[in-house]
Amino acid sequence: MNKNIYINSIKQISAQPPLTDEWFDNPVFYNEQYIRATDADYKQYFSPLEARRLGKILKRALLTSREAMQESGVQNPDAIITGTGLGCIENTEIFLDKLVREGEELLNPTHFMNSTHNTISSLVAIDAKCHGYNSTYAHKGISFECALQDAFLQMQSGKIGTALVGAHDEMTPAYFTLLKKAGYLGVENQVFAGETALAMMLSTEKTEKSLCKIENVEKFYGDISQYAIRDTQIDHIMVGVNGNAATDKIYYENCKKLFPNIPLLQYKNIFGESYTAPAFGVYAAALCLKKEKIPNQLRIKNYELRIEEKKTNKILIYNHFENKNHTFVLLSHNF
Amino acid sequence: MENLIVKLKEEIIEVLNLEDVKPADIDENAPLFGEGLGLDSIDALELIVLMEKNYGIKLKDPAQGKEIFKSIAVMAEYIAANRSK
Repeated sequence: MNKNIYINSIKQISAQPPLTDEWFDNPVFYNEQYIRATDADYKQYFSPLEARRLGKILKRALLTSREAMQESGVQNPDAIITGTGLGCIENTEIFLDKLVREGEELLNPTHFMNSTHNTISSLVAIDAKCHGYNSTYAHKGISFECALQDAFLQMQSGKIGTALVGAHDEMTPAYFTLLKKAGYLGVENQVFAGETALAMMLSTEKTEKSLCKIENVEKFYGDISQYAIRDTQIDHIMVGVNGNAATDKIYYENCKKLFPNIPLLQYKNIFGESYTAPAFGVYAAALCLKKEKIPNQLRIKNYELRIEEKKTNKILIYNHFENKNHTFVLLSHNF
Repeated sequence: MENLIVKLKEEIIEVLNLEDVKPADIDENAPLFGEGLGLDSIDALELIVLMEKNYGIKLKDPAQGKEIFKSIAVMAEYIAANRSK
């Protein structure tokens, strides 16, 4: 019953140049604590009438989805599944602000419509005229992995053959301030707080453009020492270290216990931290496998492990959220 | 009336987020819905909110909207005759 599942295209809008893989050879580095995404020129893609109801996150989601669909050649995927930690937070803030200022009266319908988490997935489906399975996962730091696992399991069981999986999050100045106060962002030496807009097309059909094969997607809740490793033939582990010593330590300790002697890679130094940042880990690993190269900016320079590297066939993307939710995505070049 | 029409055009551009549209681009006698600006039912709700918030006019009968929102000129006439703000 198990099927091979491939990532056939990925498109992103982030702190790196939009809709390209340019960061792989020429990454942009930031010293700031908070960076908003580098937007595409949306006027090229949306008419004024179309754009007037779209907040930034919706424009980004529509554009990355359209481009990922076009690149893969799949214009009508069987499923559209989105992970988002905060949903359309910018519109939610405007809506709530007006709710308070106007005394819960005279609220603008557009901001209300666009303030729900599942606006993103449904809008992409309307745009693509896709009437299939449509779902949104809003599970904080593991939202993207939940969406990916949903698509993976449905494809493995033969329910669907193609799925557009998205990861979308905005970071508003107000929300950044709150998360900084909570000690989640803006910590000393931590990477910048960023925004995520990423869409990938998954398919059971391999194409010339396929980046890699998805071997497995797993989530684990609880004491990580109880997690049973299923695959030991891993060449690299892409981890969500972000410069925050307290949470990075957890990655290093867990990796030493679970995956000894496997070199670690990073991605948040390039794409920043956000609830759905792990999608960039999958993207970066997929591109490494496709290009058969690991760029220096992804290597962790101070990591104590120094072993001779062989050809990279399998990369595991490991993320944890508060050391309770652990996610594992295994990608391979073997196809 | 001319001033009200210009003001209304500016308010509509702002509330409907019509980027790159200038008041002079809008024909006050052109239909707001379907042709002309090509507005839809959600825009109608935005216009109802605008009338109440900016001019104190509360539309009780939804059927009235069809007549009032025929064009900006008609809308301005209705506002001039019924405004409380």
